[in-house]
Amino acid sequence: MNLTTALARMLIFPGLLFAVPAAWFFLWVERKAVALMQQRIGPPFMQPFFDFIKLLGKTTPMRSGAGGLLMRAWPLIAVSAAAGAVGLLPVLPSSGGFEGDLILLLALMEVPSICVIAAGFSSRSIFAEIGSAREAVLTVSYNIVFLLAIVSIAAAQHTFRLESLAQLPATPLRWLGVLAVLVCLPAKLHINPFSLPNAEQEIYSGPMIEYAGPELALWELSHGLEWVAATGLVATLSVPHLKDPWLNALVFIACSCAIVLLLSVLAAATARLAVDTTARFYWQCTLLFAVLAISSTLLMRLRT
Amino acid sequence: MNILSMLWSNLRRGVITFRYPARPAVSEGYRGLVCFNPELCTGCAICRFRCTARAITFSSAKNEFTWSYDPGQCTFCGRCVEGCKAHALSQARACPPVYLHIGDLKRVYALNRKPPAARSSAASPIAAGVQSAAPPDGDSH
Repeated sequence: MNLTTALARMLIFPGLLFAVPAAWFFLWVERKAVALMQQRIGPPFMQPFFDFIKLLGKTTPMRSGAGGLLMRAWPLIAVSAAAGAVGLLPVLPSSGGFEGDLILLLALMEVPSICVIAAGFSSRSIFAEIGSAREAVLTVSYNIVFLLAIVSIAAAQHTFRLESLAQLPATPLRWLGVLAVLVCLPAKLHINPFSLPNAEQEIYSGPMIEYAGPELALWELSHGLEWVAATGLVATLSVPHLKDPWLNALVFIACSCAIVLLLSVLAAATARLAVDTTARFYWQCTLLFAVLAISSTLLMRLRT
Repeated sequence: MNILSMLWSNLRRGVITFRYPARPAVSEGYRGLVCFNPELCTGCAICRFRCTARAITFSSAKNEFTWSYDPGQCTFCGRCVEGCKAHALSQARACPPVYLHIGDLKRVYALNRKPPAARSSAASPIAAGVQSAAPPDGDSH
């Protein structure tokens, strides 16, 4: 991959130029789908964009000291990391050089969660702190399963290179891993039944409670970018890589939309779980699933 | 899986939200805006005493009285209608209309007090004026 291709991937597709409208589109699809399933009209198509622009035009309360500086920094870091994660997705083929691997992608995808936790504690609001604590519990709960599933996929294919993973044919073990990743997505994206950190009715959106104006707009954008990165990762791992790059991009977008719709159905069909139930679900039920995936992979490797 | 079939049937049925200016049909005993008939009113002010939300105000002088009703404060409980012996009050069986400014729906009636003879013979109107959004001059409770 030469510099031009790398920049095009980071800035155009699947980078910023695609990722930002896609983030708004996915947020709209999720809200609209849930609304239609509840017999409501739902937001108009441009609503996430309008929200973003409206929030950009508002003034941010003055915050002094290191706490204020940190509160400004967290949404910026979260957006940058999420945009970087989207840019790493191997949708278009690269030609040598820096490709980015699964570990970097996972690290970048974790940064927004860490920023949310830190932002909640920086804001010193009781509701934000509760939200951050919930987010921390949730992160610890689902990440074991998420990482084990990703590692099992990589170990089954003998590579951590995203490009190579995308091009290799899917095996049953890989499907098991993708399924485990899919189970973790609702928790990663804070949708029902794992919408604990941003519970509007209980803790007033938790870590976001003290945010307003452009900073809140950046948080919303970061959330949308997380949607694109997480659904894109599953789409990349589950859809076979096609020869035609444009067809590949179309299949990637269609598969991402299908995953968003699937998650929207889950969000509409379930209610919010308690923290202990969530932790128990991931530690008791899903962990077994992920351990099965990784142990099968290791056994397969030992046999070969 | 019951919830999934419910979501599917919701999707098939479509949205149930009414878009303005469509209004939902009301039920049999629906209690809407309080309607005032100045011809029947005797000026007893029992409605004002029964109105706990203070949506009805009443001020009286020797030969005249002013009756006003603010739907913005009304809880539509219907106690004023129940208590009106002269049947001057009734409740509309329709949703209250949409209004843009505070007090748009407020109604003020300035009436002349009827003489006792006219009152007993259920009354021809003496004078009725309707002024919207004009607060009464004073409220002598």
